[in-house]
Amino acid sequence: MFQHSALRYTALILLAVGAFAQAVTAGYFGLEVLTEILLLAMLVLALDMVAGFGGMVSLCHGALMGVGAYAYAILTTKAGLAPPVALGGSIAVTGAAAWVIGAIGARAHGIYFIMATLAFGQMAYSYVFEAPFFGGDDGMGGIPRIDLSLIGLDLNDSRSFALFCLALLGAAYGAAVLILRSGLGRSLTGVMHNEQRMRALGLTVWRVKADVFGLSGMIAGLAGALAAQHVMYISPGLLAWTVSGEALVVVILGGLGTLVGPMIGAAAFVILKHEVSNVTSHWHLVVGVLLIAVVMSRANGLFGWIEARWGARLERRLSDMTRKSDAEEITTDA
Amino acid sequence: MSLDPGFWALQTLNALQLSMLLFLLSIGLTVIFGLMHFVNLAHGSLYALGAYVAAAAATVGGYWTGFFLAPVAVAGMGILLYGGLIKRMRKSGPMAQVLVTFGLIFALLDLTRIVWGDIALAIEVPSLLAGRVSLFGIDYPVYRLFIIALGLAIFAALAMVLKRTQIGAMIRAGVDNDAMAACLGINVERLFFIVFCVGCALAGLAGAVAAPLLSVTPDMGLQILIPTLIVIVIGGLGSLQGAIAGSLIFGFVQTFGAVLAPQLASVLIYALLAAVLVIRPMGLFPAKG
Repeated sequence: MFQHSALRYTALILLAVGAFAQAVTAGYFGLEVLTEILLLAMLVLALDMVAGFGGMVSLCHGALMGVGAYAYAILTTKAGLAPPVALGGSIAVTGAAAWVIGAIGARAHGIYFIMATLAFGQMAYSYVFEAPFFGGDDGMGGIPRIDLSLIGLDLNDSRSFALFCLALLGAAYGAAVLILRSGLGRSLTGVMHNEQRMRALGLTVWRVKADVFGLSGMIAGLAGALAAQHVMYISPGLLAWTVSGEALVVVILGGLGTLVGPMIGAAAFVILKHEVSNVTSHWHLVVGVLLIAVVMSRANGLFGWIEARWGARLERRLSDMTRKSDAEEITTDA
Repeated sequence: MSLDPGFWALQTLNALQLSMLLFLLSIGLTVIFGLMHFVNLAHGSLYALGAYVAAAAATVGGYWTGFFLAPVAVAGMGILLYGGLIKRMRKSGPMAQVLVTFGLIFALLDLTRIVWGDIALAIEVPSLLAGRVSLFGIDYPVYRLFIIALGLAIFAALAMVLKRTQIGAMIRAGVDNDAMAACLGINVERLFFIVFCVGCALAGLAGAVAAPLLSVTPDMGLQILIPTLIVIVIGGLGSLQGAIAGSLIFGFVQTFGAVLAPQLASVLIYALLAAVLVIRPMGLFPAKG
């Protein structure tokens, strides 16, 4: 089950404060980078939910994000729905698609599950790529952003849009924590540790997997709908399997199964990408070598490494402090 | 659509040619997986490396230099990878292996870009195999027939080695139960090393063979990776029959899908893969029952 430690709270607060400060102070380019980080963070949050807590390593989350983006684009430009309704609709569509994928893939394990999700993701990619209705390989443009002028926000301004994404990322994080702490989330972790025992306990394993996969898909769909609004243009490239692969890389570099780690990973990944791209065009070589080094080091990513190294010491100090204050309370009570 | 027999003959040959190219790639990957449960996503990058070596050697010493040099060079690369990375990753789970080889894809992609640049290279078909030949009432390029023949020859040779020789029996034993094979005195680790090198050499050969047909670009390894993975998952991991059956299914579905139902062609193969995974999660001909 997912638990907050002092270290995780600290990291979360630092992330939130950093993102907020950046959103308030940064110029146009900084805001674009920030929004990119926030959307990637939302996607890897969704992926970590299933991969880190259910052992379902998915190579279709990029495609799910693409489904969300396309659903939003179709619902606003072709069906003529109001953007907030379209946002809800795209989340629902993506969640349903993810639920079906999760239900079909529930029987497969390990490399077979990876391949099954890859197959569904690529299916969506090649369908969108060919279909004239979805704009084919030209993509679709003219996607409107949500109108929040009622509460005095103009989302066509990058600063407001970045703050809007930050708020929704916070909401998505809260939802992910609630899901993982619920009975459903605990069952999922039980399934990851010992599927047969959970089945013997009377659990319908495939339902648990499909439900969490669907919920994770809804978060990915939200990220996709926001990405469509961010760039106001979408292309089939959003659904390609390399996007999912990159998301998986971010989860691993950040720390699988920590929720906080992948979000740190997203920030590090995007910033590093922009910094390295300034110096050399061989960004992929850097990522590749970094990925190999992290996996070979057997640490659970950046955040997992920090947790293993300083987490225990910090926890002890903090619990000492609380124990001391408990003791003081007892003496004062007495 | 045409009912002309020439059309069917042409598409059948095209499908066979694609199948054989995929077979050369998938056989190495599938036996590596079957023998040591190692998922090497970088197999496609080795294929791209083979194509580049062939293209570079062809400009110096002609096509056949490249044809023979590419497998050797890629096998050499395989030895380096084995010593540097793969040996240490043997005991890790599939997840770590997928990630390390995913990192390798990125690294090799940029390394080929650094060495050979971004511009697509092209090499000529050798004069011996140039031109067309009349077959079943159609004119067909000799070079494509050569690929079909090469694929079939390699399939026959591998089937022969696996069925009839001692090392083949050892490989089959290792795929079936590696711990028991090791108890019987087979050096499974060395066996795997040999299989890995042969698999790499075949990937390099596939790259050299494909180079004159497709242009040689840095991302050709990424493009072929997904079809190769589909082939081995449909066929079942670890078996020769699986690799050839999967390659043929992929080649024919892809080729005939593209001419008969162009709208559905690209989705068709993924739908087939999903169907196979649902009905037979271990593929059609898994090495272990």
